[in-house]
Amino acid sequence: MSQRQLTFHIFRYNPEEPDAKPRTQSYVLPEEPGMTLFIALNKIREEQDPTLKFDFVCRAGICGSCGMLINGKPTLACKTLTKDLPDRISLMPLPVFQLLGDLSVDTGTWFRHVSLRTEAWVHTEKRFDPMAEEERMSNDTALAIYEAERCIECGCCIGGCATANIKPGFIGAAGVNRVARFMVDPRDERSDQQYFDVVGSEDGIFGCIGLMACDDNCPIGIPLQGQLAYVRRKMAVAGWKR
Amino acid sequence: MQLQRALTPGNKTDFLVEAAQTVSGLLLVGFLWTHMLFVASILLGIQAFDALAHFMERFRLLDLAVIFIILTVATHVGAVLRRIPGRWQEQKIVWKHAAIIRHPDTWSWLFQAVTGSAMLLLIIIHVFVVVYVGIDATLSADRVHSWMLGFYIVLLFLAEYHASVGLYRTLVKWGFVKRHSLKRVLTVITVCTIGLGLLSLWAFYSLGG
Ligand code: SF4
Ligand code: SF4
Ligand code: FES
Repeated sequence: MSQRQLTFHIFRYNPEEPDAKPRTQSYVLPEEPGMTLFIALNKIREEQDPTLKFDFVCRAGICGSCGMLINGKPTLACKTLTKDLPDRISLMPLPVFQLLGDLSVDTGTWFRHVSLRTEAWVHTEKRFDPMAEEERMSNDTALAIYEAERCIECGCCIGGCATANIKPGFIGAAGVNRVARFMVDPRDERSDQQYFDVVGSEDGIFGCIGLMACDDNCPIGIPLQGQLAYVRRKMAVAGWKR
Repeated sequence: MQLQRALTPGNKTDFLVEAAQTVSGLLLVGFLWTHMLFVASILLGIQAFDALAHFMERFRLLDLAVIFIILTVATHVGAVLRRIPGRWQEQKIVWKHAAIIRHPDTWSWLFQAVTGSAMLLLIIIHVFVVVYVGIDATLSADRVHSWMLGFYIVLLFLAEYHASVGLYRTLVKWGFVKRHSLKRVLTVITVCTIGLGLLSLWAFYSLGG
């Protein structure tokens, strides 16, 4: 098989340069066997353009720092093989998040705000006794919590969400999933009404219009449709009783 | 916490508006499908159609239906308006977003807003015509021999599309179903209802002007 020449159309913009306008720059690179976008982007930076900005840390789909729009689809660049893509590849940064430059965005600040707003920690009156035996939990509950905890905060579900694109206060599927995680956790003593205060609004679950871009795009495969529906039903009951 | 938030503690209006949107939407889907079945009675002949129409007029069911449709459509429009991006900047963002991420369900949401707005106008005309002229097979036959034929075909497609996509989205949001099998089922229903509507129109048309 002959080697393909890949053409990358990469979004370039530096918000620090006040006069700069967003533009697209093209780079051509010969494809190699087993090439991921992590390899491709690093080659471009090393061999063609040292000014290109993008983020990778773990290059193994764990840290969630390499989310970007790959031919429009929000997904992880390190997990994407070039052999699954056409010859022409367009790369853009994730929308919604603060743009740091080119393909690099700041997802951390956004997620920290959402964690604070949804109070994403176990609320309990119980005192922690380090000597006591650990409390037991059913295996199903533990698995349900684990399922939600797998979120790596890559932001793909947020960037792909039309609602999040126009409503700065919307917590998105990752935010709702985070709340769902505490809802199933028996150690969290919050009542449904307390959860309603946190997510029972247009900024929370009732802002979601059900486009399911989040569910279609989550690279970790978290069942976001199910998580959103679970929280929606619970909050509908809580809202009804209010 | 900010002052304005502290003064207006989390209440349940967002939930109630969402509920109003969902319930009115479901009622409208039910209404539309019943409506299509009733109109299809023309396929059984003029007598069947007129008998049904007279029955509805005698027991004032027609008036009831008109009142029902005005109230439910008003509720639905009132509730969904909040979903339509109001600012020009937001409009540009969502269209651009849909074009960039190439996600079919996101496109269908934009079409939902477009077909909904177009339908509102057409429904108002449709209800006016029915209220002022009444229901009668020969009158309908006359009507489909004018420019109104196009009107009905467009309304049929808009309504069936809007109803199916809306129903799909509701069921997906509340999570009682698997998305992909649901899509298939709804596509079949949509094709059937559009087919039935077209057949009914053809039946009226063949009655002659
Ligand atoms: S389903 Fe809700 S959260 Fe997910 S992309 Fe759509 S609007 Fe956003
Ligand atoms: S839910 Fe999925 S897409 Fe969203 S941030 Fe977590 S891992 Fe990424
Ligand atoms: S580099 Fe860590 S997820 Fe891609």
